[in-house]
Amino acid sequence: MATGEGKKKLPVKEGLFKVPTDGEKGHLIGSKCKKCGEHFYPKRAVCPNCYSQEMEEVALGTRGKIYTYTIARTSYPGTPLTAPFITGQVELPEKVQALSLITDIDFEAVKIGTDVELYFWKVREDEEGNEVMAFAFRPVSA
Amino acid sequence: MAGKEVVILGVGMTKFGRITGRNPQEMAREAGLMALKDAGVDYKDIEIGFCAHCNQPLGAGTDSFAELGMTGIPVTNVELACASQSRGVMLAADVIAAGVYDLAMVIGLEKMPRGMVPILGDPADMPYAFAMGIMPMPGAYAMMAQRHMHTYGTKREHFAKAAEKAHRNGSLNPNATYRDVYTLEEVLNARMIADPITLYMCSANADGATATVICSKEKAKKYTTKPVLLVGWAGGTPVYERGGGGLVEGPTEMLGEKVYHMSGLGPDDVDVMQVHDAFSPGELFTVEELGFCPKGEGGPFIWEGNTEINGKIPVNTDGGLVSCGHPIGATGGRMIGELSWQLRGMAGERQVKDAKVALLHNQGLGGTNVMMFKM
Repeated sequence: MATGEGKKKLPVKEGLFKVPTDGEKGHLIGSKCKKCGEHFYPKRAVCPNCYSQEMEEVALGTRGKIYTYTIARTSYPGTPLTAPFITGQVELPEKVQALSLITDIDFEAVKIGTDVELYFWKVREDEEGNEVMAFAFRPVSA
Repeated sequence: MAGKEVVILGVGMTKFGRITGRNPQEMAREAGLMALKDAGVDYKDIEIGFCAHCNQPLGAGTDSFAELGMTGIPVTNVELACASQSRGVMLAADVIAAGVYDLAMVIGLEKMPRGMVPILGDPADMPYAFAMGIMPMPGAYAMMAQRHMHTYGTKREHFAKAAEKAHRNGSLNPNATYRDVYTLEEVLNARMIADPITLYMCSANADGATATVICSKEKAKKYTTKPVLLVGWAGGTPVYERGGGGLVEGPTEMLGEKVYHMSGLGPDDVDVMQVHDAFSPGELFTVEELGFCPKGEGGPFIWEGNTEINGKIPVNTDGGLVSCGHPIGATGGRMIGELSWQLRGMAGERQVKDAKVALLHNQGLGGTNVMMFKM
């Protein structure tokens, strides 16, 4: 397989996040209502706050706090994660919540309120050798 | 309350069992015949049918009702995940209250597949959470439980107590799938599914069918002198909340208010209750949301035995979802059945003394239903 040639980073699901490229960190994709200013994640076409259809795509903040979490002890066949792992809702600066895998913290240490930051990881490679990426959050590195 | 008054005339249910592989139409027939017999109604007098299910193939409603007769009535399938059957009964109540029909029947049924509940549709459209496996069903309840512990100091033992009671009540219910009794320690130390929810705090898929015959109060006089009145009902979907995490399945508090207003009854009037305990923390959240104790005090409220059969407000006297098992489309009908028996003094060992008013809360990935019954 040719090294780096034509190898791309692709999101495991379109429209939810932008994977990092040269010079860009990557972020979760949200919507902002042009009329009332509310933010939403995932993206929405209609604002549930004021019903406007004028929504713009925005890059959401990459640092947040754990709003709640659980330690999942069951793996689901056909999914890429193996239990046990931490899954939780991360509250972003725009006051939206993202459901996410949370890593790099002991099960005993994870708490509501822990500061976390977004990162991306490779789930698998596709037939063309592209990297299929998902996102997760981990404690902010000091 | 505007419109004609509505009565629950008859109820029926099959035994619930863990993936028994029973033929769905046989189960539907068994429950249907039982409800008709209980009501004293001939099938040919039923004017409209609803069939509640989630996993059955196209035409399940028509096929199920056809087991009982072929009278040409409209039969409509209702899917609201775990809240399907109660929504079916509410739709029947709506058309009876509106004066369009007098006599309706709802059959709820589910034959569960082995393993994980399949989500229909193109895998490419599958939500990220499902594709990645980061929201196992206990996940939402587990996350809400963690939040509850953090905000109010609720303890794992409080959730475990609700489960311990559920299993104990279920041991008194011949229709329950799981009838073993566990100590509090056994519940706490059982296999952890998603922290803090252990195996014995979870309901599991089961096969089963339930049926409900609903009638206008006027026409019900022909069949009974002591009807179970459906005095209030309300259904809903999640309401947008700024900063909300989308963990909530429906606006329980708001629906409770609507039903209290519609029925003219409040939490103090309720003698017996069924709440959706897909996972035991659900009982805690719901007794708070329906106003039986202050917000945040659901833990101690249950811990102190208030929701026992002989407690202040008996909850899930038949063992709830946790003990009965969960044939998704049929669960609402089990709740209605148990409450009907309670009000009619037919609940045997599970009987709550002098039960006159009953409240139901049935919830799923699709919405929430609240119903008030009075004898």
